[in-house]
Amino acid sequence: MTMRIKSTMAACMAALTLGMAPAHPLAAATPCAEPAHGADLYRTACAMCHGTRLEGNFETPALTGRFVANWAGAPVSELEAYVHRAMPLMAPGTLSPDDTRAVVAFLLAANDLPQGKTVRVGARTRSACPS
Amino acid sequence: MDTGRTLSRRGVFAGGAALGAAAMMAGEHILLPHAASAGDARAPAHPPHLVPLHPRVDQITDIKVCIRPFRAAGPRLDVERIGDKTVFHNYGHGGSGWSLSWGSANLVVGKVAATLNRKVAVIGCGIVGLTAALTAQRAGFDVTIYTRDLLPHTRSVRANGSWTPASRIALTQTAGPAFADQWEQMARFSWATYRTYLGLPGAPILFEDNYILSDKPFDEGPARPAPAGAPGRMPRATEDFAAFDSRIRDIIPAAEDVPAAENPFAAPYAKRHSLMIYNFGAYGHLLLSEFHQAGGRIVIRSFHTPQDLTSLPEKVIINCPGYAARDWWRDDSLIPVRGQTAWLPPRPEAPYGLDYRGAALLSKTDGVMIQAVDLDGLGEMTGVGNSFEHPDPAEAARAIGVFADLFARMPMAGG
Ligand SMILES: Cc1cc2nc3c(=O)[nH]c(=O)nc-3n(C[C@H](O)[C@H](O)[C@H](O)COP(=O)(O)OP(=O)(O)OC[C@H]3O[C@@H](n4cnc5c(N)ncnc54)[C@H](O)[C@@H]3O)c2cc1C
Ligand code: HEC
Repeated sequence: MTMRIKSTMAACMAALTLGMAPAHPLAAATPCAEPAHGADLYRTACAMCHGTRLEGNFETPALTGRFVANWAGAPVSELEAYVHRAMPLMAPGTLSPDDTRAVVAFLLAANDLPQGKTVRVGARTRSACPS
Repeated sequence: MDTGRTLSRRGVFAGGAALGAAAMMAGEHILLPHAASAGDARAPAHPPHLVPLHPRVDQITDIKVCIRPFRAAGPRLDVERIGDKTVFHNYGHGGSGWSLSWGSANLVVGKVAATLNRKVAVIGCGIVGLTAALTAQRAGFDVTIYTRDLLPHTRSVRANGSWTPASRIALTQTAGPAFADQWEQMARFSWATYRTYLGLPGAPILFEDNYILSDKPFDEGPARPAPAGAPGRMPRATEDFAAFDSRIRDIIPAAEDVPAAENPFAAPYAKRHSLMIYNFGAYGHLLLSEFHQAGGRIVIRSFHTPQDLTSLPEKVIINCPGYAARDWWRDDSLIPVRGQTAWLPPRPEAPYGLDYRGAALLSKTDGVMIQAVDLDGLGEMTGVGNSFEHPDPAEAARAIGVFADLFARMPMAGG
């Protein structure tokens, strides 16, 4: 990981721990950096099973739709813990904590969910990060 | 290949698919003229009338990948308290989940019955959860299944689907002698329950002739000893795995040698046995409708932590999540053992199975299943530690190739 990404990520993490909404104007560039890195990770580590559009297939769950319902109201840390513990299925535990946060941030953004401490459905982010 | 054998093969393969299909439809056996086995010392007593299968990669309808939930100590069947709930575990049946399902359910529901509760929750609707739910209903319980997915979407339906009750079920040393007795109890109970599903419309369960073919004489020499020392949780060699099949020899049809004169295949050595198979479509639908007819309820729900169970109304819970217990119950004792099956269109006119060169074929009502069981000579270690639950078309092609090549070497077999 490059220094640049590392430092933006640190800023992002700080924002996350403070529970700041990603729409914060000053942080406008930052909150999308983590999901952007997450999107790269997703493409390389997850898309082969969950699909490039998160659509899943008969055997593998989509990471949209029911996924949102499954995790609605859960602490984001719980989702991160699951992804870290269980995914990618063939090599669980191999994502670093930073990468785990980034890929989960991407999943939230891709589902138009706000970043934060809880998976909040209904509280739409006006500015979903381009993914 | 000598002429006598070639003629013999031509005979038993009944001159190609058309004749074989006609014979099947008429539901009768054709008696071959004696000349069909010309060159042989005696006419075969019961020559099989087999329609050749010529499996091809371009006929694949599906490649299914699955992870066997293996635990060195055998399935987890202990009891745990979570808040005010009593959780009866029922997971980790390795490569034997279908086969042992009813027996495992019987053990668990027996324990549940002793709690005197009338309502029970079952987590999971794979073959283990669904049979546990049905067994609980039959014991008079009011049952609700809570599950992320119903049977057709579970790992269970990505299996091979035949009687394999001691397939990667435990490691002999780690599980200990008491488990062998428990296994036998489960296997006997399951077998007896499966027998009640024989002879039904749609053939949910049936017996099929399975041919075990070999290029070399079958070697029944002494088994190699397991490696020295205790394996712990991780298998080290085929010999670490429990081999219990001989304990139930009295109820399982034995394999018999197929004499050369009766062997229709282009492999010099053959054995045949009656194998019980599970047709997933018919059997799965039957079990689900039985559950509903008996008043069972299904709630689609995904659990994230064991604490989530405290929100259920039922006090007694049977936990059947299969391999997913690794994540949802944080159970690292589950070792993934990857397996893959390729499915080709059904061939009802060719109802038999084959085991050859590390690949298996089963002709089922929902398709011809071809599995790479052990193409690389790794024995039971094949797939151990591998959780790459993603189709591998090259592996499917290799397994199909084993049988394509077998039938291609039988030029008279209607190819
Ligand atoms: C290639 C292959 C061939 C096989 N062949 C055979 C064979 O011929 N004979 C045989 O006996 N066995 C065979 N097996 C083994 C057998 O498939 C397994 O032992 C069996 O499927 C295990 O069933 P299960 O119900 O425990 O798990 P699963 O089928 O995985 O079911 C688990 C259930 O729990 C639910 N669940 C999981 N986690 C959660 C959660 N967090 N919240 C809510 N619900 C949850 C799932 O949705 C699912 O309904 C084979 C396995 C493989 C891989
Ligand atoms: C080899 C295939 C495979 C890969 C690669 C993979 N997954 Fe999964 N994923 C699955 C399967 C299968 C499940 C269902 C879990 C189960 O049944 O145990 C799943 C479940 C999930 C879930 C839970 C879905 C829900 O609705 O609760 C999430 C989240 C997830 N995966 C994220 C990821 C992420 C992020 C990556 C990449 C880092 C990834 N997965 C890589 C196969 C895969």
